[in-house]
Amino acid sequence: MRSVHPGQPSADPMLLARRSPLRTFEESRFFSFTLLLPILIFFVALNVIPTLWMIGMSFYNYSLMSPAPPTFLGVDNFVKIYNDSDLWSAFGRTFVFVVLAVGLETTLGVLLGFLFWGSSNMPGRRLALTLLFVPMVVTPVASGLFWRLIYEPTFGVANYLLQQLSGQKIDFLTNIDWAFGAVLFVDIWMWTPFMILMTLAALGSVPKAELEAAEVDRLTAWQRLWHVIWPHGKFILMLGILLRTIDAYKTTDLVFLMTNGGPGNITELIALKLYRYAFASLNIGFSSALAVILLLIAIAFTSIYLWVLHLRRYREGV
Amino acid sequence: MSETISSQPFSRRSLLKGMAALSAAAVAANALAACAPAGAPAAAPAAEGASPLQGTVGDEMRGKSLELSLAVIAGWPPSQLPIEMFPSFAAAVKEKYGYDVTVRKTEAPFAALFQRVAPTLAAKSQEFNLIVSDSQWLGALAEPGWIIKADDVYAVNPELDLEPFSSLVVNTYQVYPDGSGQRWGFPQMPDTQGLFIRKDLVEDPAEQAAFEAKYGTKLPSTYDEFAELTIQEYEPIFEFFNRPDQEFYGTAAQYSKEYDFFSCAYHPYVYATGGDIWDPATGNVVGMLNTDANAAQLEYFRSLTQYMPPGYSDFTIGSMIDLFTQGKVFSAFNWLAVGLFMISPELEGKVMAVPHPKFIFPDGEKKVIGAMGGQPWVINAFNDDDHMRVCIDFLKWWYQDDTQEEFVSKGGLPWSKKGVEAEGFEESKPYTRAFKYMLEEGRSRDFWHLPEYAELLAVQQEAYSAFASGQVNDPKRVLDYIAGRQQQILFDKGRTQTAPPAELLDLTLS
Amino acid sequence: MQPSRTRTTVYYSLLWLVALLFFLPVFWILMASFKTPDDILAVPPRFLFQPTVDNIVSMLTRPNTIPYFINSLFLSILSVTLALAVSFLAAYTLSRYKFRATNFLMFLILSTRMVPAAALVVPIFQMYNAFQWRNQFGVLMLYTMFSIPFSLWILKGFIDGVSQRYDETGFVNGASRLHVMFRVVLPQVRPGLIAAFIFNLIFVWNEFLLNFILGGPGTQMIPYALAVGLTDSGGNVDWAFVASLSTGYVLLPTLMIFFFQKYLLVGMTFGTVRGEV
Repeated sequence: MRSVHPGQPSADPMLLARRSPLRTFEESRFFSFTLLLPILIFFVALNVIPTLWMIGMSFYNYSLMSPAPPTFLGVDNFVKIYNDSDLWSAFGRTFVFVVLAVGLETTLGVLLGFLFWGSSNMPGRRLALTLLFVPMVVTPVASGLFWRLIYEPTFGVANYLLQQLSGQKIDFLTNIDWAFGAVLFVDIWMWTPFMILMTLAALGSVPKAELEAAEVDRLTAWQRLWHVIWPHGKFILMLGILLRTIDAYKTTDLVFLMTNGGPGNITELIALKLYRYAFASLNIGFSSALAVILLLIAIAFTSIYLWVLHLRRYREGV
Repeated sequence: MSETISSQPFSRRSLLKGMAALSAAAVAANALAACAPAGAPAAAPAAEGASPLQGTVGDEMRGKSLELSLAVIAGWPPSQLPIEMFPSFAAAVKEKYGYDVTVRKTEAPFAALFQRVAPTLAAKSQEFNLIVSDSQWLGALAEPGWIIKADDVYAVNPELDLEPFSSLVVNTYQVYPDGSGQRWGFPQMPDTQGLFIRKDLVEDPAEQAAFEAKYGTKLPSTYDEFAELTIQEYEPIFEFFNRPDQEFYGTAAQYSKEYDFFSCAYHPYVYATGGDIWDPATGNVVGMLNTDANAAQLEYFRSLTQYMPPGYSDFTIGSMIDLFTQGKVFSAFNWLAVGLFMISPELEGKVMAVPHPKFIFPDGEKKVIGAMGGQPWVINAFNDDDHMRVCIDFLKWWYQDDTQEEFVSKGGLPWSKKGVEAEGFEESKPYTRAFKYMLEEGRSRDFWHLPEYAELLAVQQEAYSAFASGQVNDPKRVLDYIAGRQQQILFDKGRTQTAPPAELLDLTLS
Repeated sequence: MQPSRTRTTVYYSLLWLVALLFFLPVFWILMASFKTPDDILAVPPRFLFQPTVDNIVSMLTRPNTIPYFINSLFLSILSVTLALAVSFLAAYTLSRYKFRATNFLMFLILSTRMVPAAALVVPIFQMYNAFQWRNQFGVLMLYTMFSIPFSLWILKGFIDGVSQRYDETGFVNGASRLHVMFRVVLPQVRPGLIAAFIFNLIFVWNEFLLNFILGGPGTQMIPYALAVGLTDSGGNVDWAFVASLSTGYVLLPTLMIFFFQKYLLVGMTFGTVRGEV
């Protein structure tokens, strides 16, 4: 790596003459590495090494529960994953979950975001937005548990209201037709506010001048949306979608506490599966192999994400 | 199929490259842990000459002050009692041996506790000195050498080796591998299954008259009458009290995916066919579990949900307590160990617990084999000498007559011959009679104690839950699915020589 | 064209309605924390009830609540602060010195937040055991590591937005680079620091899985207390405890989003939006 000192001031002989050792060090090419050192230490110690260890273990038959030393398996663990119909269906389920959750959250979030746009004079706006954003800061452990009570067929308030309205009850979390939707609903409740926030941010990134110009030009609402708002707002919106995608893909706590993956395997998402292999069975080799696959998928997401950011940079000529 | 590391120099080198630093550190740390101050595990004699497994014998602990770390099951009352009663232990050893001891409690719900404890033991840590383990974890804890062998402790402390009430105690909480006679655990709290019944309702003359008018037979109302009923004979009673329009239901049982809840509730139905969930001798699951008889029983077990409140596929131990104490059900299948909590102040005097309903076995005999619950104590093998002594001192105190009496009076259950046969025990609580009945020879049975327990359990809980909720409606398919996968797990570990048939592995739950 | 008063009123009422709808489930938890256990499970649900502070008192007097709360505060504030310090140095460097590998490095560091936590927990668990790090220090370092990626991205976004002319002016006036970093650039990215702080604090504050598995004595936080203490002595869920503890715990993040609302927004967008929205 080479470093270039930008904006080096025109050398002032007087200044140069009075240089302290610290100053000399600051100007040296090692200085920039020194500044990066702390982050690199963290990154290498707590990320690179564990990741390499994980990749290594994924080729071994290694269980903490067995006194026998690990044995090398080659790609057997991966073959086992490939042949495991349960894992395939967990991946499929996670995919459906991510697509539905992110899709619905985005749709709702964008609609509500537009609704909230231009409410800057609203009385108590700050309080209203705080109430709106609270769902995403409640500990997932707590919201998972409480939704369990809300959905509960005998004691839950949702079923009480449902019965008043329709005369019947639904076992939301144990009914095979409803459980997935019930979990999805809670995720949507938790994270739609986030998409509202991102939409507000996206709308905020549209320069006021261009909006005013559009007003003057008497563009229709549709034209304004397409020619003025979209070109500016799309990057932040995409960012929101990607962040949500990645988070939805990692969903563990919520299903862990709400349904434990049940009924049957209806809400058994891949991150929960991984947790089970790693800590219920202490099967380090197999769970590492699964983790490697999840990592590769995550890298694919990250790449899309960066690709979007790059598009933005490219466009702005930065 | 698998080869050792050393026979694969290529792979080893490539691995080592990436992990050299870490593995070196790991080895060093493990070595450190192994020779940590007085960390010699097992029965190695201590410097003073007395084995720490004897507990404190003289003045070796005088003036010391330490903390005993206990891992217990959260929300499980029998697990909390040792913590509650700990101060009297501390006072006793202070007086007798002159050391100060405090307790630190770590707790987690059933399934999670193992996930919490096992990794620390794998790391040879003495983070938890004394652990309340579930009975099925014995193999997982014993096989890697994480816990002290109880036989070694008994050898130097014969007074701890109390005579058990029945062989069920030994087979459930102590022995691994099954049938080997090697003991690892110390019984903490024995537990069996029963049915909690609303006594006030069956004794109500109006209900009795209505029942007789409807079914032409008398409504049973005493312990002796209920204890003889088969599950089929219970059905009219459940049906009679099942009044969904009043939000009151006939019964409730545990169908939850959580931990072992469905399995324990269902296993008595399997045993009633004269079969088992696996063959401990050959290690085979296929052919043992997935029989037509077991499938019929699974179907039957699910059919009982017609007398239950909605949401039954998520019913846990806690749901039984909530439903029963809130007056939503006439009866509930639950562990007798939570008896005290099934009887809320409003239900005082209105509850009776009876043994698990009986079955007609294939040989025509009317009897029941219930599932065993309950937990043993296990001692961390990586305890240093001082903590080891305190653990033994604690157990010696725990098994004293007066400690056990206090434990039982607070809702605990005894397991020794002396404790269970004590004068007045059967009448002491509404559930103790049923408990004693179920603890007698041949009336209950525990299942696997294998190290693969968690994996085996996860497979069947998921599949049973799929059946309970109607995700899969063919009981045979559910059992085939479980049998194939469990056979594969046991085959991979070398516990059976028979590979599962491929067609079973292709089955899915959806 | 001035929208009519009625229209504005309807519009604002609608917005309030949306906000309240989202808040409703939280409100239900809040109410439950003032109900007796029987009122919580009452059928039909009680909307009007005699409030009680018993739950809150009993929650606070449980032996672990206060220590776990202190753990939560200590670990989340310290780890996020540490992450900000480390990230600021790196963000400044990556923004001002144009390394060829900058983008790749940023990508790598961000990718750490894209994997399910359970994936990294296994190797980290083994490593921590080997080094005997399963203590406050270890958990602190881990949370710091998890807070670094977003902090770095947010701060780099902000520092990129601070014109290099400020640096140059500083150098011309004889300032050292450290002086420029801390006295010239740092004050200008304060919103970014606050945003990154809130954003990461919420994550660490609510984190459960790593805390549950890796936590040793002295590192357990409230979500752990919630998950293991949720069952009362009878094995059933102690809703009164869960409700009162959840309510108490959500207070801090709620106050933060109230007082630092605009920064929250800024944080979510990695510094790409800086204005009021």
